[in-house]
Amino acid sequence: MALEELAFLIPVLPALAFVITFFFGKKLPSGGAIIPIAAIAASFVISLMITLGLLANPEEVVSQSVSWFAVLNLGVLIDPLAAVMLCMVSFVSLLIHIYAVGYMSHDPAKPRYFAETALFTAAMLSLVLSDNILQLFVSWELVGLCSYLLIGFWFAKPSAASAAKKAFLTTRIGDVMFLTGIIVLTADLMKLAGGFTDGVYLLRFDEIFSYIPELSAMQANFLGFEVSHLTIITLLFFGGAVGKSGQFPLHVWLPDAMEGPTTVSALIHAATMVTAGVYLVARTFPMFIAAPDSLMVVAYFGGFTALFAATMGIVMNDLKRVLAFSTISQLGYMMLGLGLGATIGLEAVGVSLFHLINHAFFKALLFLCAGSVIHAVGTHDMRELGGVAKVMPITAATMTAAALSLAGFGIPGTSIGTSGFFSKDPIIEAAYLLGEHNGNWIPYIFSILAALLTAVYIFRLIFMTFAGKPRSNYGGHESPSSMTIPLSILAVFALVFGGLTRTGFMEFLEETFTNSFVNVDIGSLAGLGEYEIVHAAGHEPLLILWLPVIIALAGLGISFVLYYLKAVDLGAVASMKNPVYKLLYKRYYQHEIFTEFFSIGVVYGVVAFLTQVVDVIIDSIVEAIGIVTVAAADALRRVQTGVVQTYASVVIAGVGLLIILVKLIMEVL
Amino acid sequence: MVDLMLLAPEIAIAVTGLFVLVTGIFMSPQAKNMLGYLATFGVLAALGLTVASFGTEAVMFSGTVSIDALSQFFKLVFLVVALLVSVAAIKYNEDSEHIEEFYALVLFATFGMMFVASANDLIVLFCAFELASLATYALAGYEKQNPRSLEAAMKYFVIGSVSAALMLFGLSFVYGATGTTSIPLIAANSGLLVDNPIGLVAVVLLIAGFGFKMALVPFHMWAPDTYQGSPSVVSALLAAGSKKMGFVAAFRVFIVALAALQPDWQLAFTILAVVTMTFGNVVAVSQTSVKRMLAYSSLAQAGYIAMAFVVMTPMALAGGILYALAHAFMKAGAFIAAGAVVWMVTSEKRGNLEVPDHLDNFKGLGTRMPIAAFAMMVFVFALAGIPPTAGFMAKFVLFSSTIQAGMIWLAVIAILNSALSLFYYARLVKYMYFLPPEGEKVGTPFPYALALLLAVAGVLVIGIWPEPFVQWAMEAASVLV
Repeated sequence: MALEELAFLIPVLPALAFVITFFFGKKLPSGGAIIPIAAIAASFVISLMITLGLLANPEEVVSQSVSWFAVLNLGVLIDPLAAVMLCMVSFVSLLIHIYAVGYMSHDPAKPRYFAETALFTAAMLSLVLSDNILQLFVSWELVGLCSYLLIGFWFAKPSAASAAKKAFLTTRIGDVMFLTGIIVLTADLMKLAGGFTDGVYLLRFDEIFSYIPELSAMQANFLGFEVSHLTIITLLFFGGAVGKSGQFPLHVWLPDAMEGPTTVSALIHAATMVTAGVYLVARTFPMFIAAPDSLMVVAYFGGFTALFAATMGIVMNDLKRVLAFSTISQLGYMMLGLGLGATIGLEAVGVSLFHLINHAFFKALLFLCAGSVIHAVGTHDMRELGGVAKVMPITAATMTAAALSLAGFGIPGTSIGTSGFFSKDPIIEAAYLLGEHNGNWIPYIFSILAALLTAVYIFRLIFMTFAGKPRSNYGGHESPSSMTIPLSILAVFALVFGGLTRTGFMEFLEETFTNSFVNVDIGSLAGLGEYEIVHAAGHEPLLILWLPVIIALAGLGISFVLYYLKAVDLGAVASMKNPVYKLLYKRYYQHEIFTEFFSIGVVYGVVAFLTQVVDVIIDSIVEAIGIVTVAAADALRRVQTGVVQTYASVVIAGVGLLIILVKLIMEVL
Repeated sequence: MVDLMLLAPEIAIAVTGLFVLVTGIFMSPQAKNMLGYLATFGVLAALGLTVASFGTEAVMFSGTVSIDALSQFFKLVFLVVALLVSVAAIKYNEDSEHIEEFYALVLFATFGMMFVASANDLIVLFCAFELASLATYALAGYEKQNPRSLEAAMKYFVIGSVSAALMLFGLSFVYGATGTTSIPLIAANSGLLVDNPIGLVAVVLLIAGFGFKMALVPFHMWAPDTYQGSPSVVSALLAAGSKKMGFVAAFRVFIVALAALQPDWQLAFTILAVVTMTFGNVVAVSQTSVKRMLAYSSLAQAGYIAMAFVVMTPMALAGGILYALAHAFMKAGAFIAAGAVVWMVTSEKRGNLEVPDHLDNFKGLGTRMPIAAFAMMVFVFALAGIPPTAGFMAKFVLFSSTIQAGMIWLAVIAILNSALSLFYYARLVKYMYFLPPEGEKVGTPFPYALALLLAVAGVLVIGIWPEPFVQWAMEAASVLV
């Protein structure tokens, strides 16, 4: 099919749109928004067509490669995993671009905005399409750069500028780990393959996966433990994912990232970029499953993050911050889902990615609804809102739909339920299976508690914002149709996408690692990783199947009682005198611990000390070199007298000198 | 029967040159402006013919001219420079009355360089060398009313004549010892030069002769004065084109003809390469005239390319040859960008008019001439060897081959030099982007902008997609070893 030949256009079109909008945006109507919208729409259509083709024939993945720097390659790989991500990224990005036409209409820097979001989309699509780890890393960095630029979009605002820096520096920790992982992997592969051979792209995923057994057999001594190289590499990759996907303890940048325009929060910090970490783990899943302990680490971090972030979500008063913590928490679920590959094997990829896609829909929707409220009302402090449903009925209805999906309402055993229900439940059930088979109940406890808190915080948000009477004097009106239409489309997806696609989706994704490009035997790899895989999902006791829904209902009930009926006076509980509230409100003192104590106190202190000592030494060396160079330059410059007779003499003298020198050295040697 | 089609690119250039010269005489001053487009078209045609002829190999005219991968690669280099110069000169020559002379000289110089690239005989080589030199002497003094331009031409001419004499002297020794002027026959007889004191003398004289064009220290003295004083487009031709003529001649004469004397010239080039790159970079630090700075940077670059003679592995030769192409884009582009600034300063009569290419005139260029400033930034970063540019790729191939050959000390010197060079390159960028502009936005005139963007495209394409170029350079290098 000729369309597959066009796969490389998927990232290239938005990249071209970036160039055009960046340079000529000022001269185009509405800041050149039409160019990225058209480009991304084209990317979406191509992605969708390829995905539909792939659905019919999942074995025949699209794979194109061209050689780059002789032993590396640039390539396109669209397998089921990449296909669903591509469709999701281009679709969400397209809707958000359309929405931004209305949202950013008053901003003078529109061309820059649309150029940067177009570049971001290009980078993200190229990340997803990469058929080799290096290209993935390059796009990964580009995505990080765009995130930095967009968080600091209103760079004149000090809080935005510092949030941008914080995001960039925090994710950098993860990026360095990821890069280290790539370096270790490359070194190992070169050792195993006996160096680079022309035409064999060692860093392409099929080559990497074919060396998994050898990598797993390589042992290294690390702090007295015998560790497989594969475990080290995968944990380093996971480190990168922790940074990008805002997992504990590198999640601190994500709430601050809400300083950017709300559309950016929706595009980057909710739906797409933050899923890159999850995607990385899913993409290299065969490596993770063959590495002992790595998946368990992923599961623990994911489960803990899901719970930890949800506790903070409960006490935030800023609309966007609640959503930011919710994002962290849901990303935790996705990581947990992947980590549960330890029990359910390849199904984990399907489960986790399914949640990723559903989350993209309902979280983008939540953010855009929040944006719609902020755009109309001008504040994002929920304590000043209330009763917004009366002025903004469409926004209120769509946001409630998203909340239902996030909380995961549905009826187990049937096809009735929100998207979030069909993807979050399997993760919780898989966590139960882990407990049942390995006696390890911690991930399950994390996930079920987080589910309760999720329902509480999201309905707290709904009740505080939309219900009751206005608590301040805000104006406000329903947003223009360029904003409400994307909202309605997303609301439909948030409600029914999961129910319609659930079985097909997971089966489709299971083809990711057995097709014309790669063919790995997950069973034998799991043997290398010493994981015991069971395929018994769906046979849990009835209570376990119903528990998440009951929990979600309980959460809704709690919120209803506390924030709608106001049956309990929260003033006493929600005050700084209450140590628990204060702990949560202060976000576990992360700012104090990570930023003020660790970053500013320890790191900056050490750096400041070193600057004083080392800088003096290095400075004096550098300055000495500088002085010598400048002095030499000055002296040598005078050789250039400008008199042509001198020049001719130098030429002749040079000839003589050179003959003597060469002769002398030849004699001596 | 000689197939003249093999010389189609040269013929295209010569015919265009003659046609431009003759028709120009009968044209009104206004109509002459179209001659620039005509010349550009001729160069483009020759460029197309050269690319089309890739892969053919032939020896013509009783073995005096050789068409092979090396000659084709360097023809490509010269034509690229000629193209950039012709395009930029459309603007430079806007108000000139001697357009036909300018373009005819540029084309004849290019013709000479192309013949040097394919010369297989010392007599042909020398004649072609002189053809190119004479044309460029006249070009350097093209601004007759400008004393600096005249001074540049005068110095260039005097030192050029001395060097030509030295080169001829060296060639005569080679002929005297081996009894032939044909390069392959010299190679066969060059055993006669080994252990003969004349061999060393001939080598050094030839190095002096070619080194004049390559601008190797101490045969470089003319270069800063001439590059600064000549019109910028001519400086571009000299630094980017005619310098490479010295290299291709040296490749043929030393590596092919005088292979038996390798220890002698290898040692001489070792000394010259190290001295040249260090001297060029150090002196460039203290320059306030941008063209002069580029001249010294050009010395340094010649020092890097000369490393190919020192390392002498196929990879190093490919690196040197690739460097020649990369340098053609970056140096020609940089001089053209400087030319755009000189044009701005002289037409606005504002800023430092005494030295129109003074660093102060580049203040805030990023807002005054965005395209020229951006292009200049790309060129200087490429010259410094920062990825993803052609300069990086060329340095990468050359330096890594040096390390592979075990000459780590040489690589260290070269890398330290690159680091040093960043100082003066970055300073230029600082002037362009971080200092406030002194004057209104001017914008880059179209021909300049087109030439600059072509050069930027070349620099970036080689930097991002180096395979085909490295491949060509390898094929060219395979002619030598």
